[in-house]
Amino acid sequence: MSLLLLYALLLKAYVTSFSGVGALPQIRQDLVVTYQAMTDEDLSRAVLFGRSSPGPVGLYIVSVGHAVGGVPGAFVGWLALVTPAFLAIPMLALVRRWLHLARMRTALDAVIVGSATLLVPSGILLMREAAVQLAAFVAAGL
Amino acid sequence: MRDAFGRRGGSSDPPGPRPALSTLAWLVARDANQTIGSGMASIELLRRTLERRGWLDDREHGVLNAVARFTPGTNVLAYLAALGWSYHGAAGAAVSVLGGSVPGSVMVTLLTAVAASIDRWRAVRVALTAATLVAGGLVLANAWSLVRPYVRGPRVRWTLASIALAAALDLAGATPVRVLLVLAIWGTLTPPRTAP
Repeated sequence: MSLLLLYALLLKAYVTSFSGVGALPQIRQDLVVTYQAMTDEDLSRAVLFGRSSPGPVGLYIVSVGHAVGGVPGAFVGWLALVTPAFLAIPMLALVRRWLHLARMRTALDAVIVGSATLLVPSGILLMREAAVQLAAFVAAGL
Repeated sequence: MRDAFGRRGGSSDPPGPRPALSTLAWLVARDANQTIGSGMASIELLRRTLERRGWLDDREHGVLNAVARFTPGTNVLAYLAALGWSYHGAAGAAVSVLGGSVPGSVMVTLLTAVAASIDRWRAVRVALTAATLVAGGLVLANAWSLVRPYVRGPRVRWTLASIALAAALDLAGATPVRVLLVLAIWGTLTPPRTAP
């Protein structure tokens, strides 16, 4: 698989999702099922490495790129990871331009409150999973 | 008319003082790569650092967070791009995104290259699990920092209704983007009453 195609597939998966892990089904469909460029085991390992490294969970895409194309593939994965982030800049400019309107401000306030609400289940889930695992470690004598 | 933060006009301009480009690069690289298991936990660390130094306030943090949520891809990197842009334009966005992604990418590449079976070492698994527990706590702290100004502001009932709406949609299985779109519509339909 060419690096350009790899970039296009990873970018497509990322741009059509709104979280790093959200791109996983599309990546699996393209790279495991359609092009058979990697296996399910490679993909699972990539997610594990992504979760075991500091920074965003979406970093697993770098490991996906490496599994398909070696170090150049990892670079392509990183490129696909960071490219959509810059879309935030025109969005920020747009929000600031319209923020003098009361309705726009309230809409933004509602989105901020909503995004805070959505963080709560994620935080609780992380803590619960970790607590269960730690309890298992303790029960097994660490 | 004052917003939930007691400001007139609701300007979202960042506070006057700002970090130097090199300082921003260092702080992002340090704080965005300290946690494991959740990028939003990293953002909470960065928020604390920047607010402590007077370079960010809750309002701007909320605006950046909302924009990041609506940006495709990884929310954390979108947050960093918008944050860096606010301070130093394109250069700021570039160093922030690089700082937030390169160290972790190098580590992931190394792990993949050597095919390290990190599950093999029990101590590593315990440490990773403990780090995930801390990350979960930081995510909850980030949620509180976002909602805190509204809970203490003049629109408590509106805030509680917004939280209930978001929670109900989430429980009903709506995707995050759909939840936030409905919240945005809800917000436009319930503008603050103009002060007499």
